[in-house]
Amino acid sequence: MAKLYVDTDKYGDQAASPIVEAFHSAIKDIVRRRLDESGVDWNSFVFDKSYDRITAEDMRAVEQKLLDAGHRYDFSAVISVHERPAAYKPAEGISGEDEDWTMEHPEAPSGEPDGQGRALCGVGDNVVPHAENTVGVARYVRSSEQVMIYLDNGVPDQTIAIIDDSGGTLTAPILERFDGVICMGGTVRSHLGILAREYGIPCFMNAKITGIKEGQRVEIETTAAAKTAEAYQKGREMTGSIWKYA
Amino acid sequence: MANTGRISYAQLLETNNLLQTVTDETYWLCVTRTVQESKLFPVPPYMLLSYLNAFYRYPSLLRKIESRMSAEEVGDRVRTMGIKCQNPAVGWALPGFYLLGREWLINMGLLRPVDAVEDCIYVMDFWKRFQLSWHRNDGHITNREYGHRSQILPERRLQVFETDLYRCEAGDGLHIAASQFLASASQYGFLISCESRISLSNSGPYKLGDNSEMIVRDFMDLAEGDLPWLDGVAAEVPYNNLTVPMMVKDCHFYLVDDWGSFESEPEFRAENIAGVGLYTSDPLTEGYLPVGMASRDELIETFNEFNEVCKDATTKLWKRIAGWTRDQMIDAGALTYFAICKDLAHVAGVYEHEDWMLIDERAERFRPLLNDEFSRDCLGELVGLLTHPSQRCNEYTMMQHGDGPTRMYTPIPYSILDGDGYTPSSGPVYPGASNLPPKEDRYRTSQGILTLAEYNRQVREFQPMAQKYRHLDETWVKFNYDTPLADEMYKLEQARSRKLEGRGAGLTRADLEQFAD
Repeated sequence: MAKLYVDTDKYGDQAASPIVEAFHSAIKDIVRRRLDESGVDWNSFVFDKSYDRITAEDMRAVEQKLLDAGHRYDFSAVISVHERPAAYKPAEGISGEDEDWTMEHPEAPSGEPDGQGRALCGVGDNVVPHAENTVGVARYVRSSEQVMIYLDNGVPDQTIAIIDDSGGTLTAPILERFDGVICMGGTVRSHLGILAREYGIPCFMNAKITGIKEGQRVEIETTAAAKTAEAYQKGREMTGSIWKYA
Repeated sequence: MANTGRISYAQLLETNNLLQTVTDETYWLCVTRTVQESKLFPVPPYMLLSYLNAFYRYPSLLRKIESRMSAEEVGDRVRTMGIKCQNPAVGWALPGFYLLGREWLINMGLLRPVDAVEDCIYVMDFWKRFQLSWHRNDGHITNREYGHRSQILPERRLQVFETDLYRCEAGDGLHIAASQFLASASQYGFLISCESRISLSNSGPYKLGDNSEMIVRDFMDLAEGDLPWLDGVAAEVPYNNLTVPMMVKDCHFYLVDDWGSFESEPEFRAENIAGVGLYTSDPLTEGYLPVGMASRDELIETFNEFNEVCKDATTKLWKRIAGWTRDQMIDAGALTYFAICKDLAHVAGVYEHEDWMLIDERAERFRPLLNDEFSRDCLGELVGLLTHPSQRCNEYTMMQHGDGPTRMYTPIPYSILDGDGYTPSSGPVYPGASNLPPKEDRYRTSQGILTLAEYNRQVREFQPMAQKYRHLDETWVKFNYDTPLADEMYKLEQARSRKLEGRGAGLTRADLEQFAD
């Protein structure tokens, strides 16, 4: 079988990610085979013959092979699961139908209710310090369907949106109407953090929470210091607390 | 092909140096700035697809631009324009996306480091010439080389920006209106650009006084124009590009990177904004044109109006995107990324929709691979972990910023100079396609709404008056400010200034105080 230029590599062996290595190995096998079949040398193959001989069908077969072996992909965009539910791991809690569903982070702190009736249920990186803590009603916003409902019916008063997407597009048309945001990902410099800062919306990024149910009253310690670039670079924790009320 | 003497050792040395420059900065940006993620858009899949499109198409499209105008002339033209020729677009993305596509193909066994060598040399050379020209006033090739600073503008433009600013402070009408506009335009920009920040860019800072600096923020591609998904939803957006010079107090911008984002000490907040202006520009304007700047009240009204326009367009666009298929989302994102430097073609008058807004069939072949998990991991290894086999170096290596034996982009081996075979080019632009609805032939420009043919025609005929002064740089001004020619040049820049019209070349910063509101 044909030998590829990258088959000899003193320092590099394989990709770190098993799925990347599986796909790339399979593609290299296809390239070797098609190069042999073409009967031409590499220089004639690479930008000419290969365009017809390495096809989308080949790539489809590479992907299908992993699915046939029982693998199911992690998703990042909700539409990926919606369009190919059999190819992806299930997206739990997206539909919003299960009222008891809670977002759970394994490192989220928790505690017993204090004198004010609030129990510690999480921490997060404060985007901008505010004069007071922010108290409101937790509502999960995790899909475009949920955003569309709020767009049509209005965002309920005192909503503190719990979002597991640090981007600025999912909630774009309704972000300004939130009283607060708890975001499960990103940093204070993520797009959602930038927009929250510009709109003046109290916001925690990189939050770790546990046990917050839809509609539960929560408090964010938005009087905490904002997490600095230096703290991120040095890996130093600099968080504010999140409490829930019974 | 054996080397026929078309490539010299010096060319290869320079190409590999430029490539390493982009390697170091890309790694730093990717690991120290922010992670871009979205539940709405499949971001890693569209990024990977865009890199392949860039690899296959950029060399031909850049050559097409240079068939009309050299890279360095484009750089001179756009220095006083807030269009997508800024640091994120050309300073970083142009070489970065091309090289990321190259690196991924190497790791799939579909490319050798000695393939498309003349393309690679050409892309890096185009980039170098544009960057040196565009950055001429600060004398660097990138913001990184300048210690993450971006001082692009000449004194005559900065004097107009500074003097024409309307002063404001937290809580007053202008501050509120400007802050709201900045928020809604930023949000609209993220949505236009499918979760990326490439509709926005900051440059500067420029010193305004002991405790005051100016940052120039550009919002680009806001109206009906190149991006097909803005047809209809952006019909009410009156300008395609808007630029907001901001005077900022009590806050030092110690870093403005090649993605157009900044860091400051203390942390920048809206309360720090002490003055704002508003301008537009495009390839048919003589530099920046003021927008709503005739009076303070008009500027407040304009910001408020644009704030509502941006919000309305955001809602309409979001509803459109929410109805898209995954392939449509991937196309829009990939084309946003790939076409980040498309305004180079507009300036040269050679922009074609088929060149910049379609996925080349050679890149399209790889779409079936682009599930979320593979794309996430492949991209993460490519730009953050540097764990693809091609990125591993000998064990003594300590890469900049990371210290590991890694390198993001593979250099071109010098062995081709000794006869090792290489291939010159990936070929011309191949046919492309898109899953998005067809683009309507409607382009919002400073000269009204034009068809693309008319837009290109007008650009080709347009001869900016400032071109006459192309080689009169800041050093020349220093020693010749008292000449009629210098006066003429300054007066052209001041022609639409509410404060400096006709003042000429002799003003210093101390003189400007008398004109402040």
